Amino acid sequence: MLKLNNIEVSYLNVVKVLHGISISVDDGVVVALLGANGAGKTTTLKAISGLLRIEEGEINDGAIEWNGERIDRKSAVEIGKLGLVQALEGRRVFGHLSAEENLRVGAFSRTHSKEVKSDLKMVYQYFPRLESLKKSIAGYLSGGEQQMLVIGRAMMAAPKLMMLDEPSLGLAPMVVQQIYEIIQRFNLDRGTSILLVEQNVRVALNTAHYGYVMENGRVVLDGSADYLKGREDVKEFYMGISASGTKKSFKDIKHYKRRKRWL
Amino acid sequence: MDTFIQNSISGIAIGMVYALIALGFALIWKSSRVANLALGQLVLISSWFTYGMLMQLKFPFWFGMLMTIAFAVLLGWLIERLALRPLIGQPILSLIAVTLGLAYFLEGLTAFIWPQGQGYLPRVFPQESIRIGPATIQQELLWGAVISLVLFILLSLFFKYHKMGIAMRATADDQLAVQACAVPVTRIFSMSWIFACIVAAIGGILISSIAAINYGLVETGFKSFSVVILGGMESFLGCIVAGPIIGICETFGGSLFGSSVKELIPFLIIMIVIMFKPFGLFGEERIERI
Repeated sequence: MLKLNNIEVSYLNVVKVLHGISISVDDGVVVALLGANGAGKTTTLKAISGLLRIEEGEINDGAIEWNGERIDRKSAVEIGKLGLVQALEGRRVFGHLSAEENLRVGAFSRTHSKEVKSDLKMVYQYFPRLESLKKSIAGYLSGGEQQMLVIGRAMMAAPKLMMLDEPSLGLAPMVVQQIYEIIQRFNLDRGTSILLVEQNVRVALNTAHYGYVMENGRVVLDGSADYLKGREDVKEFYMGISASGTKKSFKDIKHYKRRKRWL
Repeated sequence: MDTFIQNSISGIAIGMVYALIALGFALIWKSSRVANLALGQLVLISSWFTYGMLMQLKFPFWFGMLMTIAFAVLLGWLIERLALRPLIGQPILSLIAVTLGLAYFLEGLTAFIWPQGQGYLPRVFPQESIRIGPATIQQELLWGAVISLVLFILLSLFFKYHKMGIAMRATADDQLAVQACAVPVTRIFSMSWIFACIVAAIGGILISSIAAINYGLVETGFKSFSVVILGGMESFLGCIVAGPIIGICETFGGSLFGSSVKELIPFLIIMIVIMFKPFGLFGEERIERI
């Protein structure tokens, strides 16, 4: 179980990005972090995975615990070995490597080659498309295929908690659907906890069990996926559905910036 | 006709040794995209170190070789730890400038420790020339070619199939993503420098046991740059193909225009290749998906 307790993060000791985030991810659960651009979703993931420090970010306050153990002072490599694996935003495949080599890098920290081999088969079962492309150079794959490859690479690390950063970014709705079905299946089959960062709120809440809404570095709302889906303000602000249940016409949107208060 | 064959064969043989040194450049480029401009100086200092072990301290041959390899490992580790690691994440130009600084530092260091300027290693390989058809070739050059070929095969297999080798290539593509996969990049970098120094040391021993140890080794390093650029920065295959091409051009240029022009030819090739094939013969093209 992952627990973030009142995490504060700043970059270069100047720019404060997170103002006391507290979230928790229970074992075997899919949790979604929702919010607009710049809310601090990606920073939260990087704080957990330890990649923050590489980008000159720092956790100033608070604690991150994984199964009771403090991990906020550990390096990215140590955290990765504990089974907390982040798939970065923006389909960052290793462009000059073949698809299969990409997957093998994902399994870098593992020592049993037999398990790695069977996991490779497993990834190909989830993503049959990747098996037929395994010799292709990753840089030339399509966007959807690259996203599959990035998720597959995270699966190869035998994660206990998989963190996915915007798996739907820039993909066709059908491909998004496909990818989310696979994420859900992976969660059910293996009991891996998943922490999702997503702007596509509708898709994310259909998959997740629990969600946090972030704004300006704070968690403003949290609750079960069904509860969030039912909230009028979530509907209006993130799904574009007004109180009457019809899609809001752009004609009716007021042109001044609406102030939103979360109660 | 005889001189033609003679020139080709000795060109290939000497080119293979250039290729060996070029492998040291490709190694580092492949894993960290750093251009190592201290190539020739690494060859120089490890040759002098071998000289120190064998001729000055009079160690037996096998022990001297062992010490040289150990020295190369230490040198590679130190260079990465002290000169390059503080610059991780800095612009590529600073990294190149640091290797240039390293080049002059190593050159100064060797001149300081071994001020004699010229040294000879004991002959490692048999002296008799071998006849291939109408041509004769020094056996030493032939051994050099064989050793480069073996190293080329080993390195290629390592980078193609070994977990560490694949991770090294991945590091060159995306340093952040590779850390998200729990790959320790600092270890990757220090390994690539250690490998490169070992390759340079082997190249140094080969060349300097054929000729002499002197400043010419640095020039050999420069020639290896032309091999790298012709072959493609990160391609081992490029090195092993381009090496003999440069070697042949050099021997033919030498026999046609005299030895003063000979040194010029590799650099002429660099200029022409960059014009027509900016990625070299076997270099990876920058992948741009449209």
